[in-house]
Amino acid sequence: MTQIQKSNSELVTQHYLGKTTENRTMYYLQISQPSDKIKKIIWMDCGIHAREWISPAFCQWFVKEILQNYKSDPKIRRFLQNLDLYILPVLNIDGYIYSWEKDRLWRKNRSPHMNGTCYGTDLNRNFNSSWGSIGVSYNCSSEIFCGSGPESEPETRAVAQFIKNKSSDILCYLTIHSYGQYILTPYGSTTKPPSNNEELVGQHIHLLQAVTCGTSLFTLLPFLQRKMAAAALMGKYGTSYKVGATSLILYSNSGSSRDWAHTIGIPFSYTFELRDKGTHGFVLPPDQIQHTCEETMLAVTAIIDYVDRKYFPGGAVMLTASSLGLSLCLSVILTWNVS
Amino acid sequence: MLNSSGPKHSPGGHHCKTCARPSPEQPITPGYPPAVLCLRWGSVPEEVALFHLRQPSAPQRDSAAGQSQCHSVVLIIHSGLLLRPHENAGSCLATVLYRRTKSPPVVNIKCMQTKDQKQIQEEDNRLYQKIRHQTKPIIGNNIPDSYGHIEPALEPAWALAVTGSSYMMWEKSTESLGYFLAQVKSVKQWVNDFIEFDYTVLLHEVPTQEIISCHMRLTWLPGHPLKVKYFCASENQGLEDGSGMESGSAAGILHGRGANF
Repeated sequence: MTQIQKSNSELVTQHYLGKTTENRTMYYLQISQPSDKIKKIIWMDCGIHAREWISPAFCQWFVKEILQNYKSDPKIRRFLQNLDLYILPVLNIDGYIYSWEKDRLWRKNRSPHMNGTCYGTDLNRNFNSSWGSIGVSYNCSSEIFCGSGPESEPETRAVAQFIKNKSSDILCYLTIHSYGQYILTPYGSTTKPPSNNEELVGQHIHLLQAVTCGTSLFTLLPFLQRKMAAAALMGKYGTSYKVGATSLILYSNSGSSRDWAHTIGIPFSYTFELRDKGTHGFVLPPDQIQHTCEETMLAVTAIIDYVDRKYFPGGAVMLTASSLGLSLCLSVILTWNVS
Repeated sequence: MLNSSGPKHSPGGHHCKTCARPSPEQPITPGYPPAVLCLRWGSVPEEVALFHLRQPSAPQRDSAAGQSQCHSVVLIIHSGLLLRPHENAGSCLATVLYRRTKSPPVVNIKCMQTKDQKQIQEEDNRLYQKIRHQTKPIIGNNIPDSYGHIEPALEPAWALAVTGSSYMMWEKSTESLGYFLAQVKSVKQWVNDFIEFDYTVLLHEVPTQEIISCHMRLTWLPGHPLKVKYFCASENQGLEDGSGMESGSAAGILHGRGANF
C-alpha cells in the first residue's frame, strides 16, 4: 500500500485506521482527486472474513484499475470530481495471515477467549445493529460467535469509529465477501424493508437479460440501481448474481457491518458475495480471479456512478425518475413479477 | 426441456405432489454427475439455476400450522465435472416437500437425460481406465490447495470426492442446514479390483458457517452404483486419524451411514 501511495501520490494517500487484536496496523487508502470541492465519500472494505481470499484480491484490483484509468476513463473522471474513495483492503488482517499460515478455512479474527482456549469473533456479527439477536452464537467455539458485546473487537471499533465520524459524508458503504454470487441489501436481522428499499432493491422488476457497454445503464429508472449492478456484472462474462435483502434470500443474521452502516444513516449499503456458487467455494481457482475482479468492477462502478449522478446531477446526462431512455448498447427485457 | 408433467394444484394451494424418493431407474454414478448436489437448499453447484416456482407457500418461513413447506427446484446436471466441465448430462425438476414432522422430506424428481446411456458408460469407462493406469496409488492432501489449484493427477480423485460428498450432503442437509464441499483434506487409494478411496473431506455448513470434517470411504466399478460410507465428526470435535484402518476392503469398517446410489 505504501508503494501505491508513493507511485500515485497525487491521488492516493494512506491513512491509519486502528490496530488489530494482534497489534497489527490497519491502514485505509484514500483516493481523492485534488480540488476545492467538498467531496462525498464511498467506503469499501474487503477481507472481513479471513478465508474469503477473492475479497482482498478485489480491493487490490479495484485500486489498481482506478489508478491506471482515472486519467483516461471519463466515467471515473466524472465521479472522482465529486467523490472520494476510501478503501480498506483487508479488515481482518490477523485472520487473513492465520489463513495463509495455519488454517485456510479460518473465518473470524484472532481474539483470545476463555483463557486462550478458544479464539476468534465473527467480525460481521460484531457490529452494533441488533447485535446478538439472531443468526449468531454466544459460544466462542462457533464460527458466528458475535463477541462479548457490540464492537467488542478492535477491528470493529476501528472501522465503526471512523465511519461514524464521517457518516454525514458517506453516501455508500460496500463490503466484499465470498462466496455465493449475491448482491445483498439491508437487513439481515429483520424482513422489514429499509425505508429506501425500492431504490436499493428494484421494485419487482426483473432484469432478465442485459448487454451493457458500461456507460449506458444510468438512463434506467432509479430503482433499478441494484439490479443494474447485477446486470452490469452479468454482461461481462455471463455470471449471474442474485440480488435481494439478506433476510429474504440468504439467511437471518444480526450485527453485520452492512446493516449497521445503513442504520446510522448511510443510504446505500451493499454486501457483495463474489464467485462462486459452491463448486470451489472459498478456494477459487486462480484462473477465475481476474474475471471475477473484472465483472465485480463493473458492478461497483455502476453503483458509484449512480450515487454520483444522484447526488451531483448536472452535466450531459440527467437521471430522472421517468426517464426510460435506453442506449444502443443496452438491450433489456423487463418483466413484471407480480407476487 | 423440462418434463411437462408439472406439479398439481392442491386444495390448500400447495403445488407439491407427494411422491416417492428418486427411483432405482435413475442411478447416480460418476459420469452421470452429482444430481444430489442440487436437491437441497444450499447445496447447489456453480452452474445450477435455482428457481422457486411462484406459489403461495414458498419461500415463506411461517407456513400456517399443520401445513408443509414446499420448495421446487430446477436442476441442471453436469457431466464429468473436471474431465469435461460445463457439459450437461441432463436436467431435473424436483419438488421437495418438508413436513411439519421430523420425517425426511418427500422428494419428487423427474429427469431428462441429454446424454445417452452409451455415452455415459463410455465416460465412466474412461475415468475408470484413467485411474487404473496410474503407476502408483493416488495419495494427496488439500485438494484444491490454498490457491484453488488442483494437480491434474488428482483431478479424478477430486471428481469422485465431489460425487461421493454430494450423497453425504444430501443425507445431512435439512430445511435449515445446507452444505458445500469446501476442500478435500486428504485422499488415499486402496488398490484392489475396485476403485476405492478413503477421503477426509471438509464440508462448509450454512448458515452456521462451520467446517465439518467427514471421513468417506468410496467404492466404485463402472456399471455399478457408487458405494459411499461416511462418518462426520460432531461439532468441536476433531476426527481421529484414519490411518490405522485395515487395507483395501469394501466391507463396511466405518460406522457411519452408508449407501449405494
